[in-house]
Amino acid sequence: MAFEKILTRYQDIPNYTGTMDAYIARGGYQALPQALRELQPADLIEVVKRSGLRGRGGAGFPCGVKWGFIPKDSAKAKYLVCNCDESEPGTFKDRMLIEEDPHQLIEGIVISSFAIGCHLAFIYCRGEFVDGARVLERALQEAYGRDFLGKNILGSGFDLDVYVHRGAGAYICGEETGLLESLEGKRGQPRMKPPFPAISGLYRSPTVVNNVETLCNIPHIVRRGAEWYASIGPPKSSGSRLFSVSGHVERPGNYELPMSITLRELIFEHAGGMANGRRLKAVIPGGSSAPVLTEQHLDVAMDFESLAAAGSMGGSGGVIVMDDTVCMVRVGEIVSRFYHHESCGQCTQCREGTAWLHKVLRRIEHGQGRKEDLDLLLDMCDNMKGKTICVLSDAAAMPIESYLKYFREEFELHVRERACPFEGKGAF
Amino acid sequence: MPTVKIDGVEVTVPANTNILEAAKRLGIEVPHYCYHPGLSVVGQCRMCQVEVEKMPKLAIACNTPVADGMVVATRSAKVEKARRAVLEFYLLNHPLDCPICDKGGECPLQDYTLKYGPGESRSVEEKVQRVKHKVLGPHIVFDAERCILCTRCVRFCQEIPKTGELGVFSRGDRSEINLFPRKVLDNAYSGNVIDLCPVGALTSQEYRFRSRPWDLVRHTDSVCPLCSNGCNVVLDVRHRQRGEELLRIRPRENAEVNQWWMCDEGRFTFTYLSDPARLRVPAWREGDRPAERGYDDLLLRLARSIRRVLETHGAEAVGCIASSRLTNEELFLIRRFFREILGTPHLDFRVRPVQFQASDASEDGFLRRTDKTANSRGARDLGVLPGPGGLDVAGMLAAASAGRLKALFVFEEDLVQGFPDQPVRESLGRLDLLVASSMFPTETTALAHVVLPALGFAEKEGSFTNFQGRIQRIHRALTPHVASRSLPEVLRDVAVDLGRDVGGIDPEQVWAAIGDAPGPYRGTAWKDVGPEGLLPEQSREPRAESRDA
Repeated sequence: MAFEKILTRYQDIPNYTGTMDAYIARGGYQALPQALRELQPADLIEVVKRSGLRGRGGAGFPCGVKWGFIPKDSAKAKYLVCNCDESEPGTFKDRMLIEEDPHQLIEGIVISSFAIGCHLAFIYCRGEFVDGARVLERALQEAYGRDFLGKNILGSGFDLDVYVHRGAGAYICGEETGLLESLEGKRGQPRMKPPFPAISGLYRSPTVVNNVETLCNIPHIVRRGAEWYASIGPPKSSGSRLFSVSGHVERPGNYELPMSITLRELIFEHAGGMANGRRLKAVIPGGSSAPVLTEQHLDVAMDFESLAAAGSMGGSGGVIVMDDTVCMVRVGEIVSRFYHHESCGQCTQCREGTAWLHKVLRRIEHGQGRKEDLDLLLDMCDNMKGKTICVLSDAAAMPIESYLKYFREEFELHVRERACPFEGKGAF
Repeated sequence: MPTVKIDGVEVTVPANTNILEAAKRLGIEVPHYCYHPGLSVVGQCRMCQVEVEKMPKLAIACNTPVADGMVVATRSAKVEKARRAVLEFYLLNHPLDCPICDKGGECPLQDYTLKYGPGESRSVEEKVQRVKHKVLGPHIVFDAERCILCTRCVRFCQEIPKTGELGVFSRGDRSEINLFPRKVLDNAYSGNVIDLCPVGALTSQEYRFRSRPWDLVRHTDSVCPLCSNGCNVVLDVRHRQRGEELLRIRPRENAEVNQWWMCDEGRFTFTYLSDPARLRVPAWREGDRPAERGYDDLLLRLARSIRRVLETHGAEAVGCIASSRLTNEELFLIRRFFREILGTPHLDFRVRPVQFQASDASEDGFLRRTDKTANSRGARDLGVLPGPGGLDVAGMLAAASAGRLKALFVFEEDLVQGFPDQPVRESLGRLDLLVASSMFPTETTALAHVVLPALGFAEKEGSFTNFQGRIQRIHRALTPHVASRSLPEVLRDVAVDLGRDVGGIDPEQVWAAIGDAPGPYRGTAWKDVGPEGLLPEQSREPRAESRDA
């Protein structure tokens, strides 16, 4: 059965504008009245559970289960927060979804809010997404005008207001509790868990935080059924996924595919193969935090389980492809510089470790490495992993470990030759 | 109540106790920096990680409540490696100059590094340079390079005085504690951030580089004398070879009085104790100017003068105003001397309106109180009040003006200053005998015929009763000046010269008499006044005066 695009179906419609009329013309806003009229909130949660939809932000947590954690008997207000702080290097799918088809997200937000009993939802939008935020604002106005938002939506008695909140430029605010702190107007740094947001989230009230892509799936699941959705892709990673392919490929871009797709198919069939016919050296399959994979992993499927089994992770779906001109030490320097810059600084291992990793990698890349630095890096990574409030520390350590695992001789060469062997030759 | 096994030893603790506190009960140290029992838990320093059976990752002891049957290891190989790693990370950018750091010798970073840390540095990178000796407020100086960002100071300002002057700025390894724009760290409790700081980053203008911790050989438990709250304190005194001096006052934990805190006024007001202007020797005024005399001769003359007044005008012509800065033991002896030995009903301590019953109130909803003397409650409880037909302070001044009062004893109060609107000078001038004790020369001592030097709270043993009715002991931290006698000694000696006896004057002996006498302290014993004080049964109600009221 040929795969039919779900979230990016609009791409096949000529001159699609993403306006309310265009969205309705392509079948939009049909799921919403269906959900409001035919389904109880509990039914909706059940449908999403049965669909097997997993969070598309990085961790892949089952969406319906997350919704089910919201206490039914709480007198507190409940909130839905859409995480649109897409900042994982190599990932650019949410940006496309909000800029090109914002109503798909809004419809998803309204249905999801109805499911969890929320009357005030927020879209936390990455600060750099100036255009995206503007598109969303305009789309929200349209939705209010057509009775899809506000009081008594479509005469159902259900009320919902949605606000767009722009971040101020911090990667850590994509971490859901860092996001909530920032949304509350505080310094964006993750909270200790438990309690999880479902129990104590925004303003200490029950809160669901869902990624843009996750929420965009909701109207389709409502309209076409949980069974239809669950039938797409492997059993534990159902539905389609947007893969942001970047780097040394012929056709970089977002590709919506079932997660049964292999790396090889993704790179060589969909993204047009390696640019300039060069040889593939390394692939980061799930955003810069994901451990690197190599040629030997090309036949691994892109679902959460298979990638984990291969020693990496599905993460944010950002696939960074690198050819043989790339210096992995330089990659390490760049990636560690990012985490050094973005660590919020509250936990000791992360605050100090991200900086130390970066300094040592920079030293090696610039010909000042010492033999003992390689084991030092590995021990540092071990000391950083699994010991902090959030996983930024792990995200900084895991890739470096993997570069050393697959490309140790390249690091040794830097130390031995007291210089980068790719200097002046490489693409990076 | 859950029972948890820590390092092989079982302990039963109340539900919701964290592992760190449970271990503390067993005497097991779980090293930590950001955790403080009086502040919110942030779990940032990651120093208190322990291994809990069935948990895949190490758990932070500060934020993991114990559960029944939980098995915890605080010294496993995994824990030791994690601790070593945290300390290594801290030291990457921390100066390794403990010998010149003000905290050296009493620094948890230094101590934990010695106990749990790596012996050598694996870093060859340059340290981050930061601002040094930045003045944050009237008392507090900040050395950012030493800061390990535990944020205790930030949380303290947010949560305790609720003034929120401090914040963390920038992120990652550029993070820095600083003042918010246009803020100064000048809240009334700012000094507590020094005690909270686990490194030498926050120091006081007053103590900074004045002493090494190991030269502060005496740490004497005491009680702050500057208001009726009676915050528990420790007095740090430099040893005699370097010149005995009180250099630092720190709060001492007492859950019922001040928790872990004290105000800046109490913390930084102590240099007066070593002020050269203090009165050290007794004096008898001859004509216009006082002449210094030895105690024996002076007290004999004083006894003769008292006897003369008693014989000529009767006990009704004698009055006494005793400060509520005095200890319970001193006040008890004063009452015994004046009411019982001399037989006068004119006795009072209430010089200020706030000292009258139920007038004392919280100043700020926290620790500070409006009665700026330590022991009004004790003075009232012990009956330092007018007897039947007796005069209060105003009455005694009026009687002096009218010539009815001939002799007045004023212990540690300056009446001239205390009643600026009244002709106190004239009233006192009409007395045949004015005896004044004081730590410093005052307008009252200037008028007195007999001037007696007084001892400071750090120079004597005894007790104060705080506004709640809690009896709390003070201990001698400083040796009194050789030429000065204590007030109990003076009362005893004058009584002897009058052919009478005040009884034993050691605080313990005095307390035995207090425990026998009628009043709220009847039945209490000196040994029962422990480090957290003693709230006698009779003083427990009503709670109307409690801090939260």
